[in-house]
Amino acid sequence: MEYLDSLTGFRLDGRRPNDMRQIRGEIGVVAKADGSALFEMGNTKVIAAVYGPREVQNKSQQINNQALVRCEYSMANFSTGDRARRPKGDRRSTEISLVIRQTMEACILTHLMPRSQIDIFVQVLQADGGTRSACINAATLALADAGVPMCDIVTSCSAGYLSSTPLLDLNYIEDSAGGPDVTVGILAKMDKVTLLQMAAKLPIDIFENVMQLAIEGCKAIAQYIRGVLLENTKQLECCRGV
Amino acid sequence: MAAASTSGSGRDIGGSGGGSAAGEMEVEAYRRLFPLPFYERHLLDSVRPDARPLHRARDTSVVLGPVASADGSALVKIGDTTMLAAIKLEVMTPSADAPDEGSLAIEFHMPPICSPIVRPGRPAEVAPVISKQLSDVIVSSQMINLKELSLISGKAAWMAYLDIYCLNADGSLFDAALLSAIAAFSHLQIPLVSLSDDGKVVAVSGDLLEDESTPELVNKERKLLLHSIPFSLTCILHKKYILADPTAEEESIMETSITVVLDSSEQLVSIYKPGGPVLAQTSTVKDCIVLTKHRMKELQNILEESLSAMEVV
Repeated sequence: MEYLDSLTGFRLDGRRPNDMRQIRGEIGVVAKADGSALFEMGNTKVIAAVYGPREVQNKSQQINNQALVRCEYSMANFSTGDRARRPKGDRRSTEISLVIRQTMEACILTHLMPRSQIDIFVQVLQADGGTRSACINAATLALADAGVPMCDIVTSCSAGYLSSTPLLDLNYIEDSAGGPDVTVGILAKMDKVTLLQMAAKLPIDIFENVMQLAIEGCKAIAQYIRGVLLENTKQLECCRGV
Repeated sequence: MAAASTSGSGRDIGGSGGGSAAGEMEVEAYRRLFPLPFYERHLLDSVRPDARPLHRARDTSVVLGPVASADGSALVKIGDTTMLAAIKLEVMTPSADAPDEGSLAIEFHMPPICSPIVRPGRPAEVAPVISKQLSDVIVSSQMINLKELSLISGKAAWMAYLDIYCLNADGSLFDAALLSAIAAFSHLQIPLVSLSDDGKVVAVSGDLLEDESTPELVNKERKLLLHSIPFSLTCILHKKYILADPTAEEESIMETSITVVLDSSEQLVSIYKPGGPVLAQTSTVKDCIVLTKHRMKELQNILEESLSAMEVV
């Protein structure tokens, strides 16, 4: 299958190899949650809700000098092409939950909230590739909305290598092509990598290019997220009459 | 007056019952510590803390088609309660005792994002209850004729999977879920299918229809015909008051609720009063039915508006 048209250089959905899909982020979508956000990357739609810091529900897991961060990732039954009944604890969900938790733990200042618990719940409403990245971006926005102290914002983006070209932000068709898929999560201002996952074989020099492309994507998303948060703060200022 | 009691801080609210010890106290603190006297103070003036009269429901909105990958979907908000319903159709072999009927599978989920009291790993207590209520109402109202879901008698029929996700739980969960199910069914577009050479039913895309060699289409109808559409209203009973469309706070303080479901020909489909400390007299039940009738007209208008809005696009 031609993932990159040789004449025009366009991908299957009309993007150029370095183009990301259209992103959109919205804060405060779940009124009952302490913080919540909706994040869309193309057709992938994800809702994240943050509850916390609050009292630890299972006292045996309480940590005395820092906050306990928990994360649960789940996909709606209608989120993918065929409706698949998804058991809650299946391996993929558990793995992605762990990945998101550890990525967010890297930036949350947990030592400021000892003996408390921060819950991050992520629900995928529509999946079209890049769900992991969309979840991390949504979780960042939701944590910021909840006022949880963080040292930096974490953003994530994926990139792949098909038809001998590095491609940014793969959608589902490109992802299932069987080529390499690199997902990167970075702390935007500090320019540090917290998450790096890759499956499939790739020569080292090409890997560097693909990873660099993904990091560029992350920085662009960080720019956008910062804009959304600033806008939100301005509106809050307006409401409070500052 | 209700307006005065919600305004500033430090109001002297020496209400009935537990409030007498309060003296000077902040309104928000009073609301947390003595919720029942706080509400009763408002009910005396026939109003609720969010300035709604007792019999009015919250603002309702319906959006059709938010999930592009599903065959039919709807997002419904009643106040802050948000429900997302989506229907996916799959071809299956009908059972031997009903060879020309399709089937319906309804599931209601309350993921942990919807409310601080839902813990991961342990499903919310009300979720299976609402799931069963929904199944019962949709089947017993006979809104959907299962024969319309049949493709080839005895060989192929549609299995409609309806999944409803609660994205924000703020009271009246059943009402919002039922409305979202109905909206999703009215938005449902059945895909066109044809019989392939090896006897399998395959989906046909729109452009193939313009092709000269059109495959034999098995079904011509694109939309489901909904017969008698059920609408519901949940009310809370407290002493002699009836509060329509409660929020989560009201539901937790005053525990007796009654849900009435009517269909579009004003026939009773279901009444559900699962116990509770308040005993309802016949007159109260009749009042609830009248309230449900009014609510049904509102909901019918809202549904029609969103359907016509979709057709314009």
